[in-house]
Amino acid sequence: MTLTEIVFLVFAVIAVGSALLSMTSGQLVHAALWLVVTLGAVAGCFVLMTAEFVAWVQVLVYVGSVVVLVIFALMLTRQPSGARSAEVTGNRWVAAVLGAAAAIGLGATMVAGFGGEQIEGRRIGTAGSIGDALFNDWVLPFEILSGVLLAALIGAIVISRSGSDR
Amino acid sequence: MSRRWIYVALTAALATAASIWAVPRLDEPGWFAYVGQGGAGDGPPLPSLSPDLFLYPVSAQVVLLAVGVGLLVQIYSTAYLGHHPRYRSYALIIILFLVGMIAVVGTTNLWVLLVGWEVMGLCSYLLIGHEWQTAEARAGAAKAFLVTRVADLGLLLAILVIGETYGTYDIVGAQIASSQDGVASSTAIGLLVLVAVVGKSAQFPLQTWLPDAMPGPTPITALIHAATMVAAGVYLAARLFPFYADSTVVLTAMAVVAGITMLMGALFALVQTDLKRALAWSTVSQLAFMFAAIAAGDPEAGTDHLISHGVFKALLFLGCGCLMHAVGSSALAAMGGLRRSMPATFWTMSIGFAALAGVIPTVGFFTKDSVLHAIEQSAGEDGGLATGTTYVLLGVALVTSFVTAAYATRLWLRAFFGPVPDGRQEHHGHEAPRAMIGPLVVLAVATFALSIGQPFHLGIGVVGTVIAAGGIAVVVWSWRGGSTLEWTTRPLTAELGLDRPFTSWAPAFARGVSRTVVDLDRDGVDVYPRAGAGVAGLTSRALELVQTRNVQRYATVIAVGVLVLVVAAVIWT
Amino acid sequence: MPLLYPLVLASALFGIGLYGVLARRNAVMMLLGVELMLNAVNLNLVAFDAWFADVVHSGQVLTLFTITLAAAEIGLGLAIILALFRALRTVDVDEVGR
Repeated sequence: MTLTEIVFLVFAVIAVGSALLSMTSGQLVHAALWLVVTLGAVAGCFVLMTAEFVAWVQVLVYVGSVVVLVIFALMLTRQPSGARSAEVTGNRWVAAVLGAAAAIGLGATMVAGFGGEQIEGRRIGTAGSIGDALFNDWVLPFEILSGVLLAALIGAIVISRSGSDR
Repeated sequence: MSRRWIYVALTAALATAASIWAVPRLDEPGWFAYVGQGGAGDGPPLPSLSPDLFLYPVSAQVVLLAVGVGLLVQIYSTAYLGHHPRYRSYALIIILFLVGMIAVVGTTNLWVLLVGWEVMGLCSYLLIGHEWQTAEARAGAAKAFLVTRVADLGLLLAILVIGETYGTYDIVGAQIASSQDGVASSTAIGLLVLVAVVGKSAQFPLQTWLPDAMPGPTPITALIHAATMVAAGVYLAARLFPFYADSTVVLTAMAVVAGITMLMGALFALVQTDLKRALAWSTVSQLAFMFAAIAAGDPEAGTDHLISHGVFKALLFLGCGCLMHAVGSSALAAMGGLRRSMPATFWTMSIGFAALAGVIPTVGFFTKDSVLHAIEQSAGEDGGLATGTTYVLLGVALVTSFVTAAYATRLWLRAFFGPVPDGRQEHHGHEAPRAMIGPLVVLAVATFALSIGQPFHLGIGVVGTVIAAGGIAVVVWSWRGGSTLEWTTRPLTAELGLDRPFTSWAPAFARGVSRTVVDLDRDGVDVYPRAGAGVAGLTSRALELVQTRNVQRYATVIAVGVLVLVVAAVIWT
Repeated sequence: MPLLYPLVLASALFGIGLYGVLARRNAVMMLLGVELMLNAVNLNLVAFDAWFADVVHSGQVLTLFTITLAAAEIGLGLAIILALFRALRTVDVDEVGR
C-alpha cells in the first residue's frame, strides 16, 4: 500500500464521515460546514487522482462560493422555530433504506465491474492540459454552458425579484 | 252586428255546399251497400291523405244534420254569445268543427277520418274551454280532451289493424277485400273500434267527461255534445260494422256497454237538479240506445236514431240555452212557471221533450221504436247476440224508455210549470230574441217532419207507447200529488261515484307508476352512473395517497422506482 | 492506486446524498444532498478519466461542466427557495405541501 493510497483512504474516511454528519446534523449551519469538510476531502481525492486543476476548481467554486451561498440562504430563511426545521421527516427510514440500498448496489456494481483495476496516473490533469482539452476539443459545450449559466443567473435574479415585489 | 253575420254567412256557404253535395245522395239505394268500382287493393296501400270523399245515403243524412244544426247554432249564437269578446274565435272554431265532421263522415280514407276525428276532439276541447277564465271550464275541457284522447288511441290501432288485415286504408277497398277474402281479425278490430267510440260517445266506463263538458257554451253543447260529435262515435261504429259484424264477443261487449250506459244515464238524468246536466246524461243514455241497435245487428236503426236524436236534443239544448238566458242559471230550482213568460220556448221544448219521451208522432218515437224492434228481431238470429243477452238488452231498453219518459216529463214540469221560485217575480224570465227562437222553431218542425216515411212496428210500438205513457203518468201523478219531483237519492245524485276512477284512482295510479319509475330510475338505472362515479371516487382517493403535494414523497417514489428497475434489469439480464 | 477506492467512496457519498434529499425537512438541506450526489458523480468521472488516461481529458472536463452546472443549479434552487420562503414564510417541505 502506497502513501497515496493511505492518504486517499484518510480523505475518503473524512469525506464519508463529514457527509454523514452533514446529512444528520440538527443544526443547519453545522450541516453546511460539515459539507465544506466533505467537499474539501473530495478535492483532496481529486488531487490524489492527478486531477489537480479540477481539485482547485472544486475548492474555489464549491467550497468558496456554493457553500457561502447556502449559508446565506440558510440565514435568510431562518425560521422562528429554528432547530425544528433541521429535523428529518417521517420519511427518514424509507430514505435511509433507499440510500443504503443505492450505496451498496452501486458499490457492488463497481466491485463486480472494476475490481482489480489500477489508476496509473499517466496523464496529469494540470491547468495547461485541461485548458488545452477545453479550448481545443470542448469549445462548443463550453460556450453552450456559458449560455446556461447566464440563463440560470437571469432566472435566479427574476425569481428573487418577483418574490420581493409582491 | 254585421260582423257577426259574416260567420253565419260563412257557415251558410259551407252548409249550402255540403247540401248540394249531399242531397242528391240521399236517394241512393242501399245503406252502406255500395262499394264502388274496381277490386281490392285499389285503395291507397300506404297511409295517404287523399280526401277520397264519397257520401252514402246515411252519410248524407249525417252531413245534413251536422251542417243544419251547425248553421242554426251559428245563427243562435249571434244572439246568445254575440257580445262575447272571443266571439270570433268561437264562431270560427264552429266552422272548423263542421269541416272536421264532414271529413269524418264524407271520407272513405281511414287516415282522413282520423284527422277529422281529432279535429273534432280539438274543437270540442277549445269550445268546452271557451270560458277559460273559470276553473270549471278548464277542468272540464282538459278532462274531455284526455278521456277522448285515450279512446282515440283505440281508433288509431283499429285503423292500423284494418290496414294490416286488408292491405288498404280505404274503407271501401277494405270492404271489397272482406267480401272477397272473408272477414278477418274482426274481434280485434271490433274491440278497438268499441274503445274509440266508447270514449267519443261518452259510454260506460268513459262516460264522465260529457257531463263535465257542460261549462261550455250551451249552443256548443247542442251542436257538439249532443247532435254531432258524440254521435260521430255511433256513426263510426255503424260505418265499420261490416268489419266486426260476425264477432259475437264484440257485439256482446257493445250490448253490455250500451245496456249499462242507457239505464245509468237515464237514472242520473232523473235525479239531476241542473237542467243542462240532466240533458247531458240524457244524451249519454240516448247514445247508448243507438249502440244497442248496432249491437243487435241493425246499425241502420242506430243511425236513424242518431239523426232523430241529433235534431230533438239540439232543440232541447238550444231551448235550455234560452231558459238560461232568461233566468241566468241552468239550475232547475231557478226555473219554474216559465210557461207563460216564454211561450215560444215552452212550446218548442215541449215538442223536444215529447220526442225524448217517445210520444207519437214525433220522430223520437219512430226511431226509438225502430231500435226496440231491431233488438227484438235480433233475438234468435244466428251469428249475433245470444238470445238471452238480447232479451236482457230489450228489457233494459224498455226500462230505460220508462225512465226516459219520466225524466223528460219531470224536467218539463219543473221548468215550465209549478210555482215561481222564491224571490222572483211572477213574470220572471223573458222571451229570447228572434235569432234564438228561430232555430228552435226550425228544429221543432223538423222533429215532426222527419217522422214522415219512418217505419212503424205495431207490436213493439204499442208496448213502447204504453211504457212511455206509464212513465209520463207516474211523474204527472206524483206532481199532482204535490211532489216537487226533487228526487235526491244519494247514490244516484253522486252518480254512483263513477267519477272516482278518473278523479282519484287514475291520478293515484299515475302517481304510483311515476313513483315506481322514479325509484327504478334512481335505484335501477342510475346505479351504473353512480357506480362509475363511486369507482372514480375511490380511485381518486387511492391516487390521492400518491399525490401528496409533497416533493419529497415524489422523489422517494422515483428513487424506489429507479432502484426496482435497476434490480430488475440486473436480475433478468 | 486501485480504481475501486474512489468508486466505492463515490457510491457511499451518493447514498448519503440520496438519504439527505429524501429525509431532510429543510429545502436548503435537500439542495445540499443534491450537491453531495453531484460530487459523487464528479468523483466517478475523475476516477475513470485517470484510469483511462484519456487524451482529451473527457472526465475532468465534464467534471468542470458538472461543477458549473451545480453552481447554476444551486443558484436557481436557492432563488426558488427564497421566493417560497417569502410566499409561505417556511421552507419546510412538509408544510409547503399542505
